[in-house]
Amino acid sequence: MSNISRRFAMLLVGAAGLAAFAAPVLAQDAKFYNGAPRTYLYNPDTDVCFKDTSQYKKEGPYTIGFSNAGLGDSWRVVMLHSMEASAAKHKDQIKKLIITDAGHDDAKQVADIQDLISRGVDLLIVSANTQQALDPAVSQAMAAGIPVVMVDRRVASDNFVTFVTASDAMMGRLFAQWIVEKLGGKGNVIMLAGQAGSSPSENREKPAREVFAQYPGIKVLETVYSDWSPVKGKQVMQAMIAKYGKEINAVWSAHGLQTPGSIEAFIEAGYKDGEIPPHTTADVNGPLQMAIEHKVPMLEVGYPPAMGGISVDVALQVLAGAPVPCIYTINSQIAVSEGDNTPSIETPLRLTDLVVPKGAPDMLITGGMGPDYDPKTFKVDYPQ
Amino acid sequence: MTALAPIRLSSRLRANQGVLVVAALLVILLIFGAFISDRFRTTSNILNIFEQSTGLALVSLGQTLAILTGGIDLSVGSMISLLSTLTSGLIAGKVSMVLPVAIGILLLGLLIGICNGLLIIWLRVHPLIVTLGMSAVLQGIVLLYSLGPAGSVPPSFNFLAYGKVLGLPIGAVFILVLFLLVALFLRYARLGRYIYAVGDDEVGARLMGLPRARVMLTVYGFSGFCCGLAAIYLTSRFSVGQPYTGLNYTLASITPVVVGGTLLSGGKGGVFGTLLGVYLISLLNNVLNFMDVSTHYQLIAQGLIVIAAVSIYVEKKKRV
Repeated sequence: MSNISRRFAMLLVGAAGLAAFAAPVLAQDAKFYNGAPRTYLYNPDTDVCFKDTSQYKKEGPYTIGFSNAGLGDSWRVVMLHSMEASAAKHKDQIKKLIITDAGHDDAKQVADIQDLISRGVDLLIVSANTQQALDPAVSQAMAAGIPVVMVDRRVASDNFVTFVTASDAMMGRLFAQWIVEKLGGKGNVIMLAGQAGSSPSENREKPAREVFAQYPGIKVLETVYSDWSPVKGKQVMQAMIAKYGKEINAVWSAHGLQTPGSIEAFIEAGYKDGEIPPHTTADVNGPLQMAIEHKVPMLEVGYPPAMGGISVDVALQVLAGAPVPCIYTINSQIAVSEGDNTPSIETPLRLTDLVVPKGAPDMLITGGMGPDYDPKTFKVDYPQ
Repeated sequence: MTALAPIRLSSRLRANQGVLVVAALLVILLIFGAFISDRFRTTSNILNIFEQSTGLALVSLGQTLAILTGGIDLSVGSMISLLSTLTSGLIAGKVSMVLPVAIGILLLGLLIGICNGLLIIWLRVHPLIVTLGMSAVLQGIVLLYSLGPAGSVPPSFNFLAYGKVLGLPIGAVFILVLFLLVALFLRYARLGRYIYAVGDDEVGARLMGLPRARVMLTVYGFSGFCCGLAAIYLTSRFSVGQPYTGLNYTLASITPVVVGGTLLSGGKGGVFGTLLGVYLISLLNNVLNFMDVSTHYQLIAQGLIVIAAVSIYVEKKKRV
């Protein structure tokens, strides 16, 4: 098979995998994007990096280890559930999915990875607690001949087979560009980031800063860290509102987990409906409910936890010896509040199409888990 | 003096009993693990357990001496964070900087520890408060220095944490030698025996004219030195230092000490118990991983073992 047709075949396989996961969401509305990954189609490079995985080809059924950085927020719970659901779907090919949880402790995750290798896994899926500290452990696994598929949080080096992610950079840029255009190129922005030093946060902040820097009228007042928590997000935004007040023209939030905290802080500071500055968000139901209720201009670009399940699909591709892209970028949906399309962010999807009006605020709407999914009662019979 | 002799003997027996309990637990866990999985028995897994215990062993060693004097060192976590961030920050990827920085870090650890000791002596404030305060100061300093991972180390630096000599992990071998040296020091050096004396009966030790100041400086200086070793080791294991690298080690370092039979009130116990305590925790996590027990239960199991272990020793003390 020639290199080109191989790549094309790969793309088809990938698109099929994505379509399978997007299906339950798609059933709701045709406004949802169901195409091949945009970051792939719009990529101007003629050469896109693909990894040859023929050296990892193996007969099944497989034992797959998943070393998770930890749980602790709703995104990571849905990600884990989507992984379990995918393992259940592939029961015929997967003998065992062993899941370890490092409780957000680097030392524990290094030990977990070593233990999983001792247990003889055929492939490791790793979501790294921090990108540098886990690098040696992941590199050691690869050196020992065990393929590593990273999901959501990668390590600093390229010592892995592929990284399943949504585009952090695209999110960061779209959020920033939309804010620039909403403000007409002039105004002050607070950047409400996630956790200092974590790659999803850093990889959204840097491209966003580059966008803001191109517009001399835009000033980033301060970057504050929410640790992805609405409570911490509220605290830091209360401090920002106390310090800058009405000077704040927009809040660039790295994800939807902390956005409700920020909106609450504005409401409690006496901002009326329609006065709260534009916010950005991702994945979470609550911010959409609040934006609709309090008329907050809002852009949603998802970072779908469905990538957990997709990482299992990708793992099976690797063990089948099929080439995979070096970075496996899954699609994100893009939605805005009514009337808030801008020249660059033009989307048919509205917040009202995404929101689950009576659903729990902390519910994730981009998990690809189907309409009946409830994280509190979810249980699936996966091979363990 | 004749009245003292039988008490000494029984106290030595008590310490040994503590070590025996932990040793017995270790053996039980090993047998249990072997039943659970064939792969548990592999050499590579057993060596992993030793390798994984290195960081904790280093910090707990210093902590043991502090606790033997009836004190405690709560600054170890922040000190490791600071020293580890400085290690990669100052090496900054240059091979030529490795040795000078490593020596500097060990001296700085020693120095911070001696500061702890001096403050305890001069201010006559309980070590708990002094080191708690020092912990906050150091955490502040490291965050001023860097908010995230700082600098880098050359790839060959990973050898310390992942390398092997004669098929054995370097860190694990180093630990055995270091613990042996400290055990010999505690038993045979005069200053070593003073550490027990100060912890056993501080007033008595003062009346007998024992050099309490020298003991405190030695103990806290050594704890700082151990933090320097742990920081260098962890920087090698993670290939970078971060401002929160040491966070979990403050409380974690106390667990093996008390599990290993050293009394929090001081004067009784020893470093071998601590080493066995470290191995016990490392082995427990490994066995629970092999059993597919989730991390959340691993924490519960650790907590229960601490409480159970300490209650056994307390019981023993009352009976005498």
